[in-house]
Order: sequence, then structure tokens, then C-alpha cells
Amino acid sequence: MYAPEFAYYRAGSLAEAGQLLQQHPGAKLLAGGHSLIPLLKLRLTTPPALIDIGRLDELKGISVTDGRVRIGALTTHAELAASSELAARCPALAEAAGLIGDPAVRNRGTIGGNVAHADPASDLPTVLRALDATIAVTVDGSERSIPAADFFEGMMETALGDHDIVTAIEVPAASAGQGQAYIKFSHPASRYAVVGAAASVTLTGGTISTAAVALGGLVPVATRADSVEQALTGQTPSVDTIAAAAAAVSADLGDDLIGDIYASAEYRRAMAPVCVKRALTAAVERAG
Amino acid sequence: MNITGSYTFDAPPQAVWDLLIDIDAVAACLPGCESMDPIGDNKYRVVLTMGIAAITGRYEGTVEMRDLEPPCSYRLVVEGRGKPGFVTGGGAISLTASDGGTRVTVDGTVQVGGTIARVGQRLIGSVAKMMMDRFFACLQQRLTHPA
Amino acid sequence: MSTRIFGSGIRRREDPRLITGTATYTDDLTLPRMVHAAMLRSPHAHARITSIDTSNAAAAAGVVAVYTHADTVGALQPTPCAWLLPDSDLKVATYHGLAKDVVRYVGDLVAVLVAEDRYAAEDALELIEVDYEPLPAVIDPEQAAKDGAPQLHDEIPRNQAFHWTVAGGDIDAAFEQAEVVVSDRIIQQRLIPNAMETRAALASYTTATGELTLWNTTQNPHIVRFLMSGVCGLGEDKIRVVAPEVGGGFGSKLAVYPADFVTVFCSMRLGRPVKWTETRSENYQATTHGRDHVQQVELAAKKDGTITGLRCTVYAGMGAYLSTAAPGIPTILHGLMLSGPYTLPAVKEDVYGTYTNGTPVDAYRGAGRPEATFMLERMMDLLAAELEMDPVDVRKKNLIPKFDDGHEVITTLSYDSGDYPAALDKVLAHADYAGLRATQAKGPINGTYLGLGLANYVEMCGLGPSQVAGAIGFQGGLWESAIVRFHPSGKVHVFIGASPHGQGEETTFAQIVSSELGVDPNDVKVFHGDTDMTPMGWGTYGSRTTAVGGAALALTARKIRDKAKVIAAHLLEAAVEDMDYEDGKFFVKGAPDQHKTITDIALMANVAWNMPEGVEAGLEASTFYDPPNFTFPFGTHLAVVEVEAETGVVTLTRYIALDDCGPQINPVIVEGQVHGGVVQGIGQALWEEAVYDEGGQLVTGSMLDYALPRADMLPDIEVLSTVTPSPHHPIGVKGVGEAGTIGSTVAVYNAVIDALRPLGVTSIRMPLTPERVWQAIQQAKG
Repeated sequence: MYAPEFAYYRAGSLAEAGQLLQQHPGAKLLAGGHSLIPLLKLRLTTPPALIDIGRLDELKGISVTDGRVRIGALTTHAELAASSELAARCPALAEAAGLIGDPAVRNRGTIGGNVAHADPASDLPTVLRALDATIAVTVDGSERSIPAADFFEGMMETALGDHDIVTAIEVPAASAGQGQAYIKFSHPASRYAVVGAAASVTLTGGTISTAAVALGGLVPVATRADSVEQALTGQTPSVDTIAAAAAAVSADLGDDLIGDIYASAEYRRAMAPVCVKRALTAAVERAG
Repeated sequence: MNITGSYTFDAPPQAVWDLLIDIDAVAACLPGCESMDPIGDNKYRVVLTMGIAAITGRYEGTVEMRDLEPPCSYRLVVEGRGKPGFVTGGGAISLTASDGGTRVTVDGTVQVGGTIARVGQRLIGSVAKMMMDRFFACLQQRLTHPA
Repeated sequence: MSTRIFGSGIRRREDPRLITGTATYTDDLTLPRMVHAAMLRSPHAHARITSIDTSNAAAAAGVVAVYTHADTVGALQPTPCAWLLPDSDLKVATYHGLAKDVVRYVGDLVAVLVAEDRYAAEDALELIEVDYEPLPAVIDPEQAAKDGAPQLHDEIPRNQAFHWTVAGGDIDAAFEQAEVVVSDRIIQQRLIPNAMETRAALASYTTATGELTLWNTTQNPHIVRFLMSGVCGLGEDKIRVVAPEVGGGFGSKLAVYPADFVTVFCSMRLGRPVKWTETRSENYQATTHGRDHVQQVELAAKKDGTITGLRCTVYAGMGAYLSTAAPGIPTILHGLMLSGPYTLPAVKEDVYGTYTNGTPVDAYRGAGRPEATFMLERMMDLLAAELEMDPVDVRKKNLIPKFDDGHEVITTLSYDSGDYPAALDKVLAHADYAGLRATQAKGPINGTYLGLGLANYVEMCGLGPSQVAGAIGFQGGLWESAIVRFHPSGKVHVFIGASPHGQGEETTFAQIVSSELGVDPNDVKVFHGDTDMTPMGWGTYGSRTTAVGGAALALTARKIRDKAKVIAAHLLEAAVEDMDYEDGKFFVKGAPDQHKTITDIALMANVAWNMPEGVEAGLEASTFYDPPNFTFPFGTHLAVVEVEAETGVVTLTRYIALDDCGPQINPVIVEGQVHGGVVQGIGQALWEEAVYDEGGQLVTGSMLDYALPRADMLPDIEVLSTVTPSPHHPIGVKGVGEAGTIGSTVAVYNAVIDALRPLGVTSIRMPLTPERVWQAIQQAKG
């Protein structure tokens, strides 16, 4: 568990971080380090340089403007979980953040690092997909926004270019009548999602006007459950309608389900409707 | 670990076969392939940089095609090693005519050893499948749009 | 000072240094001219080494030396196995420090590299080029015994390390005449001990004097010294072994490992201090694992629930080589415990120890006894189910009644004392067992099934009489020693041969001295873990430190008291036989006001101005205590679980542990030991497993995949006790280090199966992960 040699730079500003990235091909950004440092110590990654952006205050904090919540990339999972603004406006995100790893991981790990790493078993990408979040990315001083649907391309693969820096995550604030929930079956050791489901449901006059459901943990990349959403929209929520809609998730899973020694693809496939059902039930309850 | 896949090509078996044994095409489509040099008897020395995202490893090894039955089937035997450990594998590749095209099925096993095996079990299967999918997608692309 | 210090839950004096990070572990030590070793380990489960090229590594920056097997020839003897099980056709495979020609498990040592710092060592390690020719591997202990299985050692057919049997009574008649027979196939999966501190060694050999000091994270420094002497060719007089702070062992630091010998070899070769600290990755691969049994068990009984015979065959995986104590674990410590707390008229067990391409297996907390308890308690539940009896009633039918001074069981052991029915009754009353059964009878709530799991156990601890050690092939004694030394001011130094590593004996041993002699426990300092300072002892394992070492200490304190009484009589101008002693005061009978304290006497004995005729100066005594028998702690555990049928998720809602370890010196420490043990046992039932893939790769190679219990996965553990003193022990104590582990795995397992009985599930492979439980439910549904 001894990392190979690498150069270390601490960026004093976002602009400097961008310059350092350009100057050091193959360099990796270091934020919370909770995925990167173990990989370094296992010698599974050997970047020539680390660029520490951990002290860039401009990437920290949560703000709300015009119905959008902007979360700085360096905001830690613990901060997400404890944020009253988040609890009020995107509760599923706060809920998911509180379920990540353990306190030590939550105190160090950041949302920006999490989305950039794009681990298929991670919790936040699933929620961000359900909530139609966008990822703000800077390169050469200019910022662009990438919808989560386009950002997460595959297993540990994102739309980030070599010199891109994730600066913030933007999430639409929940409106009146909207309920959200994140449910996961977690691995007892890593606490990664074996199956994770995020749901956001808006009730209008007693019927479900919109439903957004996303899945993670069992698919290579966080995925929207279109069939479930369609089955719910326009329905009056009940135990039966929710169960029926959740069962429709099998059509959304595709062929490439993740399976491992802890939980086979078969088991995960069987648990997907259960997880979705529970997330929907909680979301509907909170919407009411 | 078993690894299986099935891919359809919009071309007759002989055309697909020719592509599968075209080393330039294989080298171009093998994810991370840096070089692929013949060392005789349908055997090739291969240098690969494999990995996803930050997790990369450079592997050197051999790829061998055995039991060639054109244009129906062959066996692929792969061996490689690098700092993160070693990979050995083998698979039966079968071509069958199907709806005017060709269905290629792969039925193989992969054994990974070293650090990746110790800490990466939850992802190895999916990564192997992803790389295989990419390999065949690339070949499919090549068939449709020859370079 | 009151004698009530015995039994007082005073705080552990070890804790301030441990929880403030000021304790000194082996890796914290730095010596002048010290260099660092890194170990090259096999990535293959089984392979022939066709070539090793160390030239690039040797030329790398900072590298001092690289050694392979060839370098060690003549300088390093093979790693010894120290439990040479008799009457078992034992075959000990040669276990070289650095592999010769063939590697046999992932983690087998291939080369050692020494560099000026550890980073340079790890960098250069990647430059050693080894070509392997892979060979077929076998991991399953039963498969390894089959014809056609890959062979690990040319000279050992069918990979059979030993075949050991225990038999008593007429087992054939028991099964021929049985009114009911139940059976099960049980897999005791491989576990990784996971001590918080990985293994470490700092060897400092001085060429000019030929002397070696070895700081080593070990449970038994004297055994290390003894074995090191033989393997490295140094006299024991030239070796000092120090176990500094040791961060847990659970049996895994009982063994002496190739890496320890190799580190010493490097220091001897280089004449410089060499430090090696295991990485967590290495720890998972190369520090001994536990359990790994395939058990086929059957029980014969009468229709009224009376058991008449137990017959079993066990394949015990040894891994690639026999570790230090390995052969004794699944045999002596397992087979002899098969009667448990029950009257068992007949028993027969065959244990086949097999070599496999896995990490060597050795003692792991409980070591053989949890595996025995599991078999017996599993059979009890199956019998109850078969006879449609309550599991409690079947157990009560067979429990040995209360006894105070000896009870012989069919496996030839003579238990010291026990009151098993009382333990069971106390747990049932505390838990409101009847109420829980009534709740259960109402059926599942929202698809969640309630289950209750019982385990009665008895364990052999306080290892053990040395004469027995010799008879069972243990290549050492099993006595313990203590020296008590009073300084002039009345402060006390205690030196013990045992080597605690987290169990709290610095505190409890001070309490023993305090209660025997009336000194303040804070005035008693306990020294251990240094072969130059402490008397010979055999180490800390098998719940023996207090049970054996504590006896040595109590007897030593009593020798001091006897001498002090003679001095006190002299000072009070009275006859010794007229003297009395109470609460640290020596006085003439009937005149307690005129007294001498132990402190007064310590001063007089040390200045020796006025000593009785013929009495030596000083106040110091020592004892080498060889116990007349093992001790036999026992208890009853009850687990309450909820199983969600839809997902297979098991939630442990209550855990009640009653452990009778005899009189408790410090009930807070006892409770802590029970908590730790219980949690390790629950871990086996629900979460932990070392998994190898079909090629012999350890795929649970880190804490990402190897699931250790965490606080939020557990309920509050309800700890109860009864107190049944051991009749043969000076202070009656029996030992508690392993107690919690013995019954907890099967208690949880029984609870889960009990919950799923309405669904027709009778057996699930451990650990009981949600998927395995869910699959079992699906299969039962058909």
C-alpha cells in the first residue's frame, strides 16, 4: 500500500488548476481523494502528477437561485447530508449522501469527485439522473453545463475531457407536491449500492402528474426507468399501482446487469422492482 | 469467470471471418492495443494498455488463434501480464449465418490474477464484457464503413 | 484497600495510551541504520517458478539487497509446524521461508527486497522478473482429498496432511437402534482474522556480538524466540524477542511466519536493523485464515429427544502448508468438544486435514470449538424440528446436570464444573422466550419472519496441563509463570510469561495482586512481552492468560503473603501461627489495631535491618504453574432475528449472551471480551467469508469485499452471567477471551433457519447474505 512516485501541486485558484492540468498531461485532480488515494496505494493508477484542488473555496458551498440549487464540487457528502437547504429542495440527494460509506468517507468525499469517478455502484449519480441535474464543467476559464443524462456515459466513464474540471452540480429545486426518495440495498463492506433507486414524484390533485425514477448499482451506468415512469404518470397512487409500475422496471434494465460474488445479476434483477417500489412508496408519501 | 456474448454482423460469415482474422482490424479494434506482432502459427505478441478511467494497466502477452475452421469457428487463447497482475483467457468463437447476416457468439473464460483480482471482483466481469462489446462494435463499424 | 477490588469494573489502564495514539507498536520503532524490507509474493495459487531475475531490482536506486530461496540455503531452516498431532499419519510439508521452485498459494513468498526506505523497496519490487508456469489449483478441502485433484506436495498423496479420529461408546449400535436420525452438511467458511495492526517485525542483528533483538507483533514471544533459534541457527541466549504494543491477534499472531524468519535472515546477512510491516493486502493473503471446514454430521436419537450418538466427517482445509499450531485446531480443540454440555453416549468423528492452494489456516478466536458447537447445536435444532419439539425442550432433555467437581464425557475430557441448566433458564427468563415464541406463532408481519436461535456451549480453555500437551503433540509446555517483586516503597512490579495484546491483563492482573495483598492496584505495574525481562511462558491464546497465568500470579502473591506474615510476626513479636491477615493488614489474632501493612513489610524486607532468623532479604516470589486440567467455561446464547422474505435481508434484533467464566475479576473487561467475541461469531454467520475463485485467486482481498461487522449492523448485546468457579483453579477463574465466539455463529444461524421454517428452508450456506437467504426461499418455494 505504497503509492508510486508522483508530483504534487496545490492549486491556488480554479484558473491555476486549469493551467496545471494543461501543463501536466495525465495529471489527476485530487479533491477528497477517497477513490483516488486507494487506487494510488494499490498502484492501480500511476498519474505523473496530482493537482490538489481541495482548498479552492470557490468550489465549496450550496446556494439557491431561481429554483435551482447549485452545489459546489467540493461539497462533502457529510455537508450534503446535513444541509437544511438540500433537505428542503432536493431531499433525495441529501438522503443518498447520508448513506454513502461511513462517516470518515462522508467527511472527506466530495460530490464533484464522486460524479467524476462515476462508479456504477455509487449513489449520487442515480439521484442526479432522477432529478435531471446538470454538471457544471470548466475548461480554459469557460463554464458549460452537461445534463446528467449525457454526463454519465458508461462504467467509470464520463463526458469529461482531459482538461475539464467539475465545478458544480445544479439540481432543480423540488416544487410543491413533489416527493423524493432514495432507497438502496447496500454492500455490507463497501456500502456501495447493490441496487439503488431514486424516485421523484409530483402529485397534482391526487394523481401522479410526473414521475422520475433512476436506477444504479446493478447497471453499468445510472439509468432512468422509463417504463416505470410511464406506468405511473396519470395514475392515482396506491399500493397496487406502485407495485405494478415498479414491476415494469424489468423492461428498463437491459442485458448488462452487474453481478458479483456478493450479489448475482439474477438477484439484483429480482430486487430492482422491490427497491423501486420502496423508493416510490416513500416519494409518494412525502409528496402527499 | 465465464464471459459470453453474441453479436450480429450485416454480412455473410465468410466476410466476417475474414475480418476476424485480419490482424490489422483486430489490432485496431482491440481496446488499448498498442501493438500486435506475428510470432508464427497464428500467434501474436500483443501490448495492451487496458483499463477504465484512472485505473490502467499495461499488459504484455500473446494472442493465439487455434483450431481454425473457416468460416465457422476458432479458439482464442490469450495470456498477458503486467504490474497489476496477469490475465489468461480462452474462448470459443462461432459464426453462424442468420437472417442474411452472421451471428458471432463468444463463450469463454477469463482468469485474472494479482491486485485487480484481489480488489476488483465487483467490476471485473462487467469490464471484460464492456471491452468485448467495444471490440465487436468496432468490427461491426469497420464492416459497415471500411477504412 | 479492600479485597473488593476483585470483581470491580475499574477502567483499563491500557486504554489512555491506546486511545490517544501514544502506544508504541512495532512499526513505530526506528533504529539507526535501519533499512526496510518488502516481500514479493506469488500472484498465482499454484505455479512452478521457471526463472527469477533480480538484476534490475538490485540495481535500482536505494536498494540494498534482494534475496531469493537460493540465498537462504544453509542459513534458514524451513518454517516449523509446532503441533505434531500423534496417531494421525501427520505429514508436514516443507515450508521454506522463500519458495523453492513451486509457489502454492497467492501470497507465498518468492523474494525479499531490502532498501533504504519502504517506497524505494516497493518501487524496486516491481522490477523483479519472475516467470511462472501455472499449475492447476484446488481450494476446497474436500475436493483436495479426491482422486485426480491437483497435488500440492509430491511426497504427500491425496493432499492428506493427517487423518485424526475421536471415538467413544458404541456408535454403530447408536445408529442401528436410532429411532430418529437427522443430518446436515455444513460449510464453515474461511475467515480472515483482521487484527487492526497488521503483522510486523523489526530485526536487529549485531554482527560483532552475534546477538539478535526482534521486535515482533506476536501473541507468544517466547515461542518466537524458541522457533527463531532453530530456524536461524542462533542460540536462545543470543535472542531477545519483544512484543511491543500488539494490535490484536485473534490467533493470527500465534503462528511464526516465513516473513518473520526472512526479516531476521536479512538483518543477519546485512548486519543492519531491518523492518518489515505487512500491508493490509499482504495481511489478507498471507496471515493465517480461520475455520474452513466441510462437515458432514448426523445425530441419532430416541423419539423422546434423548440423543444417542453423533457421527461426523470433517474435511479441514489447512492451506498450502501447516502453520504453527494448525493440526491441533480442527482435531484436539474440535473433536474433543463434541459432547458439548450434553450427555452423549457415543461419538465418532473422522477429521481429514487437507492441503489446499489457499493461505495457511490456523487458530482463529475459538479455534475449533465454534466449529464443534455449531455442529452440535445445529443437530439439536434439526432434531427438535424432526420431533416437533421446542428446541429448548430437546436441549433440556440432554443437558448434563449441575456438577461442582468433575464430570467425564465420552470424548475423555473431564469438565471441571458447570451448571448448564441454570444458564439456559436464566437466558430464557431474561429474553421472555415464551413471549417471543407466542409472537412468532402469530405468523409473519408484512412478509417479515421472526426467528429464535439458541446455542448452549462449553469450551476447553486454560490450555492446559503440560503432560497433556506432550500427549497431544504440542511441541511445548502449557504452563505459565509470574514473578512478583515488591520495591522498598511498597510499589509492585509483576512479570508474566504470557503476552496479552489487548485483553486488559495489565489491569486485571493488578487487581489479582491487589486483592491478594491489599496494595492499591495503581501501585502494581505488569510487565509482559519481552523475553529478556519476563520469565518463560507460552503465550496468550486459548483463553489461557488469566486461567493459567492468573493462577501463577495468585499463587505467587500468596507466597509473598506467607513470607510477609513471617516478617510481620517478627516485627510484632508474635508467633507466626498466631498471625492473621485481612485486607492487606497482618496482625495478631484478635488485635487488628496493632498491624503491619504489606507496605511496611516491603520496606523492612528490602532494607532488611530487622529480619527474622533465616529469612532472606527482599520481597519477591515466582511461580511456574502447570494446571491440573483445562478449564471449561460455558454459556447460553440466544439470537432473535427478523428475516424479510422479499429480499432475504436478515436483521439481528436482539442478542443475549450468558457466559459463565467463573468469578469475574473485572466485569467491564469480561463484558468487552464477550462483546468482541460475539461480534466475531455473528460476522461469520452473516457477513464474513474469504472467497477464492476457481483459479485460486483471493477475490475478497480487501475490506471493499470482505465484510466485517460494524456497530450499526448490530443490536445492543445483552450480557448476562452466572458464576461457577473452577474447582481446580486458585481463584476459580476459567477464561473468557473466546467465549463470545463459541456459540454466537450457530445461535444466529439457528435463528435464521428457525425464522424460515414455515417456508421450508432447512439449510443455507454461510454467510447468510440476502441473496443466499432469498435463493433458499425461492428453492423452498419450488
